[in-house]
Amino acid sequence: MFTNASNFVDGVDLSFAIILGASVFFLVAITAIMIWFVIKYNRKKHPKPGIVKENHKLEIIWTVIPTILVLVMFYYGWMGYKPMREFPKDSIHIKAIAQMWSWNFEYENGKVSDTLVVPIDKAVTLDLISRDVLHSLYIPAFRIKEDVIPGIDNKMWFIGQELGDYNILCAEYCGDRHSYMMSKVYVVQETEYSTWLNDKSSNDHPGLQVLKKNACTSCHSLDGSKIIGPSFKGVWGITETVITEGVERQITVDKEYIRSSIYDPNADVTKGYNPGLMITTYKDLITEDEVKDIIEYLKTLK
Amino acid sequence: MSTAAIQSKSFYEEKKGLKSWIFSTDHKRIGLLYFYSLGSFFLVGVILGLLMRLELISPGETIMKAKTYNQVFTLHGVIMIFLFLIPSVPAVFGNIFLPIMIGTDDVAFPKINLLSWWLYVLGGLFALSTLVVGDGPADTGWTFYAPYSVKTGTNVSLAVFAAFILGFSSILTGLNFIVTIHRLRHPKMGWFKMPLFPWALYATAWIQVLATPIIGITLLMIIAERVFGLGLFDPSLGGDPILYQHLFWIYSHPAVYIMVLPAMGLISEMIPTFAKRPIFGYKAIAYSSMAIAFIGYFVWGHHMFTSGMSGPARVIFSILTFLVAVPSAIKTFNWVATLYKGSILIKTPLLFSMAFIFQFLIGGLTGLVIGALATDVHLHDTYFVVGHFHYVMFGGTGFAMFGAMHYWYGKIWGKMYNEKMAQISFGFIFVGFNFLYFPMLILGLMGMPRRYYDYLPEFTTLNVISTVGSWVMVLGIIMMLTNLIRSKKRGEKAPKDPWGGTTLEWQTSSPPSLHNFDTEPIVPEEGPYFHKV
Amino acid sequence: MANFVMVNSGHNRDDEADKLGMWLFLFTELLLFGGLFLVYTIYRYLNADAFLHASYELNVIMGTVNTIVLLTSSLTVAMSITAIQKGDTKMALTLIWSTIAFAGVFLVIKYFEWTAKFEHGLFPGMEHYNMLEPGEKLFFFLYFFMTGFHGLHVIIGGIILLFVIAAIRKGETNQGKFIFLENGALYWHLVDLIWIFLFPLFYLIH
Ligand code: HEA
Ligand code: HEA
Ligand code: HEC
Ligand code: CUA
Ligand SMILES: [Cu+2]
Repeated sequence: MFTNASNFVDGVDLSFAIILGASVFFLVAITAIMIWFVIKYNRKKHPKPGIVKENHKLEIIWTVIPTILVLVMFYYGWMGYKPMREFPKDSIHIKAIAQMWSWNFEYENGKVSDTLVVPIDKAVTLDLISRDVLHSLYIPAFRIKEDVIPGIDNKMWFIGQELGDYNILCAEYCGDRHSYMMSKVYVVQETEYSTWLNDKSSNDHPGLQVLKKNACTSCHSLDGSKIIGPSFKGVWGITETVITEGVERQITVDKEYIRSSIYDPNADVTKGYNPGLMITTYKDLITEDEVKDIIEYLKTLK
Repeated sequence: MSTAAIQSKSFYEEKKGLKSWIFSTDHKRIGLLYFYSLGSFFLVGVILGLLMRLELISPGETIMKAKTYNQVFTLHGVIMIFLFLIPSVPAVFGNIFLPIMIGTDDVAFPKINLLSWWLYVLGGLFALSTLVVGDGPADTGWTFYAPYSVKTGTNVSLAVFAAFILGFSSILTGLNFIVTIHRLRHPKMGWFKMPLFPWALYATAWIQVLATPIIGITLLMIIAERVFGLGLFDPSLGGDPILYQHLFWIYSHPAVYIMVLPAMGLISEMIPTFAKRPIFGYKAIAYSSMAIAFIGYFVWGHHMFTSGMSGPARVIFSILTFLVAVPSAIKTFNWVATLYKGSILIKTPLLFSMAFIFQFLIGGLTGLVIGALATDVHLHDTYFVVGHFHYVMFGGTGFAMFGAMHYWYGKIWGKMYNEKMAQISFGFIFVGFNFLYFPMLILGLMGMPRRYYDYLPEFTTLNVISTVGSWVMVLGIIMMLTNLIRSKKRGEKAPKDPWGGTTLEWQTSSPPSLHNFDTEPIVPEEGPYFHKV
Repeated sequence: MANFVMVNSGHNRDDEADKLGMWLFLFTELLLFGGLFLVYTIYRYLNADAFLHASYELNVIMGTVNTIVLLTSSLTVAMSITAIQKGDTKMALTLIWSTIAFAGVFLVIKYFEWTAKFEHGLFPGMEHYNMLEPGEKLFFFLYFFMTGFHGLHVIIGGIILLFVIAAIRKGETNQGKFIFLENGALYWHLVDLIWIFLFPLFYLIH
């Protein structure tokens, strides 16, 4: 609590402190009075109940005071929240792309990264895009969260005010690996940011870059372990059983099969796995050339 | 036979055998049927809860796989909400005591009452059958959010259909109670001579009738969507997932008041009895039940503050959420004021009532924290929310039910429970409960999202405390149940009115006869809670 | 054994209670369809053009005939109440039977309407349907869902009326005690009323 990690922390924590203060007061006061009454008017000491008249004044008082109090709470909640929805005119726009179960961030110059790097003290607007189901981008340290909804253009913004790295979590249930859908945001100096942004070189195999960019690796491991889909390790050239329209058949993992697994994943479903998890078609996301890169890369994974 | 002194047979003795129970139209028997079936489902839900806690005792895989965990919390939520809490108080205590408390011999439509129970059991079996059929229970969370609920391969349709049937059962109970209260009150019992438990049931029944159809049709749409594979709520096919959320919460927010209002009614019965004083602010409590029922319809959007609704909508939903808290505050103040200058008898039901007030306060006040826009953005879908709703639902309604089980134990089963054992088990339950759920509030503040199978190492300590708390609580609950079960055989015979209560159920024998009253019940002219001293 | 008579017993005959219960039930039915109308309205608003375009596919003539059929059936069932009040059981029975017959006609017409759509491949999952744009898909999905759901209610209403007929035959429902018929008729009016909303929404708004 009470850091200064983003420009919203103050407003949120202030409204929290106000509501918490009132709450603790009421909790302690009411509980204490209740226990005090129960002890004081215990039947052993107080065998005959006293006469207490209905008291309309009291009723009105304890209706009006809480009403005023909750309106105050509402007001601070609103004030802490308002700036989150007032988007700055010029800010860095980054696309935050969510899909089961990973985050990707696409910068204006085309750079794609699985972590978010932002310069300190600069307004950043995230355009939230989901490729499949609901997700929610949550940065606890910044006190911000907004759902990522397929087909709807939600966005959020913030200013990182302290250097460091902070967790990005997914806060809307999205399936098996919901709790692993994490990333980091790095708040760095302006200069560091621009060198990072313009460094597009990568040592990765071009095929691996495509896999990472499209978050394939969140379901397909490269080391033989089973996550959600079959591992890519050693998959090239093996013979396996698939189910095509309810009928089992044997196939060899070759160019054509991989291509169709990407463009029409539900046509042949690998035995032992659930259909419908991969995006219905990657046609708009992965070009034919990129598929070739993937195949070349898979060949190297022995 | 001619003299009134001869005690008539209790409703247990009137007829015997399994058939005389499962086809009975007697409201007391139906209430008990509900009690036992509800209790069984509750145990399943509770065990699932304990399994979850066990999984969460350390990060990484402990006892189950991620997918299993997701199915477990979904089934836990579905059972607890649709099979336990929504029917709970009305179906059990409402059925048994509503007719007696308003001085009549049954509900308005006894056969429909039986039908609701049958539908309830059917729905329950459907929900449990997802365990064994096909790909296992749904893994969507009890909210069934689209489009995930349309895509997943698990048994969503069956679970959703179960919820649909249960909704139907709930509607019929509500309808029955409304008509009963309108038509069957004792001729001398005006609206404001009616005890507060029937008042609470009345308010609840209206919510049941008016809100449940919406969820019914929404769930049918989810099924149709899955069966025909198209997109009413799936954006890739033109639908709108936010619309689903609106439709879901239009019911499910009012539903939380279905869960808590009758429990508040129970508290309003127990406190005056043990304080030996008329309830303070009778009318204020009755009206605030109606106010909650009414305002409760317009706040559903507070579950969707981060979903991308329009700005003004978020602001309006937030302000209404705060307003709906006021009637609850009024009730709380009146309960405490009833204790003032009373002559207080400390028995287990009172202890549970006090724990209710304490825990409902925590639950309600944390509700205010997440009702505020700024804080909800941070806390939405974190363990803070999980803490909030367990405090109101379990710490509130659950504890009120435990209290009522002791309060009316003699009336229902004709024997008295063992007071000392009951108080000890109460101690365990109370302590265990708070160790189980308070850490969740802190976890939420630290930023641990809910529905997380695995968590970051910094959350470990609090999760361990919480899990250990669940064991203490189990111990308490086992003690409580053992005590209640044993007392049925060994307890002393219950008198007509063990606590000096003033409402009509204390005027008849324990347990009551088939027709509830053997002599004309006397409706006190001074109002329901007048103690002659 | 009870040595007093409870005036407010739940087992007494209470027509008022039955009627109140029925009205509450009808209310829940209205809300059920209300949810659907809400969804319809929202999607119509979001996909105005597609809905407009798709609605031309529907057969206004069949829809109109069906509306008339249902309105007439509401009339006959209302008249059967008057008949039973007058003690003319035979007339009442005839009128109820004709209501059921009209329900049959309604369903037959509906059947032909649906088959035509099937032949055009407009049912969700069929070839032509899959080629439609999202808004039109929603329209047809809602068309089948809502008219289908309404059709189900027509069938339920018919079954209730069959039970009413049985009760009249047995003499349980008669001149002095006809609340069952009244409630059955109320249900039938609801079925009719819902159609009165469905008809313009799907067939007429162009
Ligand atoms: C019995 C059930 C129950 C009850 C009674 C309540 C009561 C309230 N709830 Fe809760 N709620 C749930 C069950 C319940 N809730 C559930 C199940 C969820 C999660 C659903 C899911 O996502 O799975 C939820 C979630 C939930 C959210 C959404 C959180 C999120 O997902 O981001 C919010 C937000 O506003 C909220 C608010 C409130 C409020 C303001 C009340 C108020 O009615 C509380 C009023 C009571 C009091 C305030 C206490 C009395 C106070 C005093 C005597 C002191 C003086 C008071 C004042 C100064 C006002 N609840
Ligand atoms: C009334 C409602 C209710 C109740 C009583 C409970 C009870 C419990 N809940 Fe509940 N919970 C919900 C309603 C409820 N829950 C809902 C609606 C959700 C949301 C689901 C979703 O996200 O979709 C949820 C989610 C939820 C989570 C969050 C899951 C997640 O987000 O990842 C957790 C985590 O620990 C949890 C834990 C528990 C535990 C440990 C219990 C235990 O029951 C605790 C207490 C233990 C006992 C009461 C012991 C009982 C006794 C015995 C077992 C012995 C019997 C002996 C004899 C008969 C002799 N619950
Ligand atoms: C949400 C999880 C998920 C994501 C993301 C995902 N896949 Fe898959 N994938 C699966 C599952 C499950 C299967 C097995 C079922 C099937 O064949 O449809 C599979 C099967 C495959 C196969 C066939 C493997 C075999 O052994 O038969 C290939 C090739 C493949 N995916 C490639 C990709 C590529 C390339 C991407 C990214 C562009 C990707 N997948 C993204 C889940 C995923
Ligand atoms: Cu993505 Cu949870
Ligand atoms: Cu709510």
